[in-house]
Amino acid sequence: MNKSLITLDNLGIGYNGQPVMSGISISIESGSFTAILGANGSGKSTLLRTILGLLPPVSGYINTSLSGTPLVFGYVPQSIMLDSVYLLTGFDVALMGVYGRVRAGRFLPKAERAFTRECLRATGAEEFAGKPFAELSGGQKQRVLIARALTTRPDVLVLDEPTAGIDRETTHTVLEFISEINKERKITVLLVTHDFAAVRHYAEQVIWLHEGNVFHGPARELLTTERMAEIFETGVY
Amino acid sequence: METLHQILSPDFLLRNSIYISVLVGLSCPLVGVFLVMRRLVFMGVALPQISSTGVAIALSLPLWLGFKLTEHGSHSVHSLAFAGSMTFSLTAILVLAFLERRGRGQPEGRLGTAYVVSAALSILLLSKNPYGEIGWLDMLKGEIITISNFDLVLTAATLMLVLGTLGLFHKELLLVSFDRDMAITLRKKVVFWDVLLYLLIGLTVSVAVLSVGPLITFGFLLIPALTAHLLAHNVRQFTVLASVIGGIVAFLGFYIAYQWDLPVGPTDVVILGVLYAAVWIVTGLIPRGLSKLT
Repeated sequence: MNKSLITLDNLGIGYNGQPVMSGISISIESGSFTAILGANGSGKSTLLRTILGLLPPVSGYINTSLSGTPLVFGYVPQSIMLDSVYLLTGFDVALMGVYGRVRAGRFLPKAERAFTRECLRATGAEEFAGKPFAELSGGQKQRVLIARALTTRPDVLVLDEPTAGIDRETTHTVLEFISEINKERKITVLLVTHDFAAVRHYAEQVIWLHEGNVFHGPARELLTTERMAEIFETGVY
Repeated sequence: METLHQILSPDFLLRNSIYISVLVGLSCPLVGVFLVMRRLVFMGVALPQISSTGVAIALSLPLWLGFKLTEHGSHSVHSLAFAGSMTFSLTAILVLAFLERRGRGQPEGRLGTAYVVSAALSILLLSKNPYGEIGWLDMLKGEIITISNFDLVLTAATLMLVLGTLGLFHKELLLVSFDRDMAITLRKKVVFWDVLLYLLIGLTVSVAVLSVGPLITFGFLLIPALTAHLLAHNVRQFTVLASVIGGIVAFLGFYIAYQWDLPVGPTDVVILGVLYAAVWIVTGLIPRGLSKLT
């Protein structure tokens, strides 16, 4: 059995001390591919932001360290959240991932630049990395942002709606690629989406937030037509 | 050509004025690029004005407390004005940035109100202050005539400090500005970097307002950065180009003002405005022209 990487114990999530959801107790195992699913406003982004440390827990306990060392999150935000006024190339954006390892005021070592190019190559983003990030297509931006997440040398790759705003074909290409990273690099993947259909073939575990309830289990059990209908109709686990 | 020789001569009477003008022209756009990237353009308008209100209040303090400042004590007057300018700039930028993050009300409304009230307040205060008559009112209007060696050295030292800090911590300041969430996941101290950036902006604005007045400070903070944004392809080009535009226009403005006996500040700002409009039109036409050809 794989060791637990992230533990949520009776966790309450919300904003400004006001709970959106509480009593969440889940473990995310090392090397797993977990999807956080739910409709808009269900609290999935709030849960993700709490796991990342961007929001404090309203109650309960969250452990995101391994043997006392904090986990490194390779965070892939929604590309729409990044302002196009910044004149950054794809390479500039990807390079930001190494900033966590370079002390303030120090120049970036050549090795880190080379590693960034390697990550861009691995995500198939090398050929357009010199172009302005704001002018890239949705799929290209995702590849650059995934490359940036990989440059952090992450324990967990965390993706917020990576398929939002991109077409069906590109959605499957992106998810296929994330799945490959998970299997080949043994990097734990935590992905937020509202696209049940797209993710069911790739995720092993599912955390499904529905009307204040949390359903957690293997994707092959939770995302069957019968089980989904049952949850949508009765809201019971 | 003769005027150019005259201006560049080390014996030129107004040499400190031109040095300080070019210094402000080169350095203000470097913090201005962060105001443009963070979409805080209106703050760039309000801050110099608030800073000048700080000067006005600081210069009114001795009067209110019953002290008398003489022209011989110009260093202490300058220090007092600097303290007022710095206090008001920093307080304003921190409060306005905090309110911006809280997201309540209309940011443009807050900044507009802060601008107009501080403009009115500084005029009211200085009109009732005897020190206003010995040059401060002119300075607040953007007249760069009497710059002492002390003013020049203080301004140069402060701006060098700002430039050095910006250069040294550029990657941290850029990361925190571009993707705050990413910076937090990389365990960067985002509040510290935010405060440092605001401190640098406040310091630059304070020094620039004291040296050349709020009008030119506003002009050089934003217009070179907005112009460079139309031409640059990456952040490095954006930063360097904004600074170069500021420096060249500062020199050109001084030259034209000296040649035709115009006030330097308004001349600089008008040139910056004309250049921005020209670049905006040209960069808008070129892609269209090219697409017609292809």
